Amino acid sequence: MAKDILLSLRDLSVEYPTRAGILQAVSQVSLDIYRGEVLGLVGESGCGKSTLGRAIMRLLQPPGYIAGGQIIFDGQDLMGFDAAQMRDLRGRRISLIFQDPMTSLNPVQRVVEHVIEAIRVHEGPTSVEAARARAAELVDRLGITAERLDDFPHQLSGGMRQRVMIGLALALKADLIIADEPTTSLDVIVEAQFLDLLQELQRDFGLSILLITHNIGIVAEIADRVAVMYAGRLVELADVHPLFHEPRHPYTQALLASVPNIKLVGDDLKIMSGSPPDLITPPPGCRFHPRCPQAFDRCRLEPPPLQEIQEGHHVTCWLY
Amino acid sequence: MADRKAEKSNRPGWQEDLERVGLVRRVLRPALQARKWYGADWWFVVFSAVLLVFFVLVALFPQWFAPYDPKAEVGPSLLAPGQPPEGYILVTRTADHITDLRQVATSEHTLGFVLGSPASQALRERLAEFAAEAQAAGEEVNYSPRPKRYATLDEALQALVAGRIDGVIETRSTVEAAIDQYEGLEISASLRERGDRGFILGTNQLGQDVLSRIIWGTRIALLVGFTSAIVAVVIGVPIGLLSGFIGGPLDRVLTLIMDSLYSFPGLILAIAIAAVLGPGLINIIIAIAALYVPTYFRIVRGQTMSVKQLLYVEAARSLGARRLTILTRYILPNVIPSVVIIFSVNVADAILTEAGLSFLGLGLPPDTPDWGIDLARGQDYLRRAWWLITFPGLMVALVTLGWSMLGESLSEILNPRLARS
Repeated sequence: MAKDILLSLRDLSVEYPTRAGILQAVSQVSLDIYRGEVLGLVGESGCGKSTLGRAIMRLLQPPGYIAGGQIIFDGQDLMGFDAAQMRDLRGRRISLIFQDPMTSLNPVQRVVEHVIEAIRVHEGPTSVEAARARAAELVDRLGITAERLDDFPHQLSGGMRQRVMIGLALALKADLIIADEPTTSLDVIVEAQFLDLLQELQRDFGLSILLITHNIGIVAEIADRVAVMYAGRLVELADVHPLFHEPRHPYTQALLASVPNIKLVGDDLKIMSGSPPDLITPPPGCRFHPRCPQAFDRCRLEPPPLQEIQEGHHVTCWLY
Repeated sequence: MADRKAEKSNRPGWQEDLERVGLVRRVLRPALQARKWYGADWWFVVFSAVLLVFFVLVALFPQWFAPYDPKAEVGPSLLAPGQPPEGYILVTRTADHITDLRQVATSEHTLGFVLGSPASQALRERLAEFAAEAQAAGEEVNYSPRPKRYATLDEALQALVAGRIDGVIETRSTVEAAIDQYEGLEISASLRERGDRGFILGTNQLGQDVLSRIIWGTRIALLVGFTSAIVAVVIGVPIGLLSGFIGGPLDRVLTLIMDSLYSFPGLILAIAIAAVLGPGLINIIIAIAALYVPTYFRIVRGQTMSVKQLLYVEAARSLGARRLTILTRYILPNVIPSVVIIFSVNVADAILTEAGLSFLGLGLPPDTPDWGIDLARGQDYLRRAWWLITFPGLMVALVTLGWSMLGESLSEILNPRLARS
């Protein structure tokens, strides 16, 4: 795999002002996504992974805002882009697939109109026939017959809608697809089909995918590298095998130990004690220290930096 | 595809022929299918739609339906519905040997009436017919007898006996009761020789035909109802969309203005605006439209705010759609169904308000054939002439009912909770 950096986040922070104070949803995350790789982003609910995905597109729900850092996409800092430049970038270079395919399509537009619109937004006026032909080609690739193009979203099944969403993302040959829990609302069989399709398309088109999920199993199956987030911070980033075989950060270890496994015997399933911290007043030092079994004094005082402890294996922990 | 073809060949040929007509395929068949899904509501929609189509026809072409000119005094005052108007007769001196009204109807003659009797109106119509006949025949006769009015029939008949006038015109029944007391008088002709159209719903105090008036009144009612509702939509919907979509201080200010308008009781606000603007059709429309703008604003703003949070709007944004595109292609089409429903209910309400304003004298000029004006005038004769207020009131009720029924049942049908998904 060519190690060609497509997207690079440098110290990216996202904040939400609330009544109780400023909530740091993402703090100082630095991370690279290479061309043609699948990067899995895992973490528990509320750890900032979806916020990170949206921040990359600069589509944060108000009142959220990017408090600092850089988003460098293909050599350009997106923070310096104006609204028109961002609009042009969205969909054409970076696409977003949402969690809930049931509500991600406009109920009053036919499937084909969605595709035509996506094409027209970025490529100017296109004849209906030409756009239709492209749409037909596209959905054929996704395993949807061309007849279904004239259906309304409510006439499609959940799996089909999610495939249409990918189709929209692919219609303009985006380089990076941010998939925000794309399979959460699908059943396991449809989910497996969907993941196969995603992988196949990723290989054929040379896409980069940022797969945001809390489902460790999916990540293990299709990701090349995995990033683990905890309480708005990146705690571990490594290739998929090292991460699953020798996790280094105590949080990653605890997370993996708490995933049910058919080989477990008796009480082997570990439960992580405590709960994630309040992000308005996060604990000082390492944010995981209140729950960490191996915490020592330094962890309580200074936040650990992200360090590369092995080739391609980054950890944010004072243990190393 | 194969399935569809098989399905088609099972159907009778005439249905396939019908299929080719666009209207049938696009409108009629979905409507018939809808009947299966929605049952009673479908019938309500059909019934109210038929009713409204009829009213719209009446409003567009009142001259096809109305037997008389609504402003003309065409009959006796306060004639009850269905009663034949009493015929007028000509009384002359036996010695003159008059057999035809024409003989005493030229400009050299003088005819007597009782003061306040509609007989002169009836005569005028008859004279117009004579003049037309004469013109057609190429004769030059000036049918315009000098009128002379008397306080009572007796005075008139005495004048006739004395030779001061050439004839007296009065209703048959009154003449027959009085004529025996005078020597040398006879009933020589009846004014109405041709069959009369009669007054199905009676006449009002001015002798105007009630039926013709309510038929012409439909035009005003629908015109005002429709136009003011449309004006309200045209103003309220875009403001609501912008306010909900942009939000922030603009939204605050607009909501404050609209809510303060909304807090007035409906008719009071319309009265105030109409009083400031003065009477007239346009002003009434403005006053009523101002009343309904906040309704659209509130609904559209609320819906916009909820729709703009939905994932498909965000998905559109993540595909790089412009704000205008999002507003017109994603939000507006999803908001429109509720606007349609309020619209039909509002038309009904606007018609009521218009009738109310006219009733209070804030609306149109007093001789306009308008339901509100007729109601206002009729209330003075409530005990003597029930038909004066019953029929305009019935029309207001029917039209309002039609629109409300359409609105209510449409809302049942378009309700997303009940829609198949």
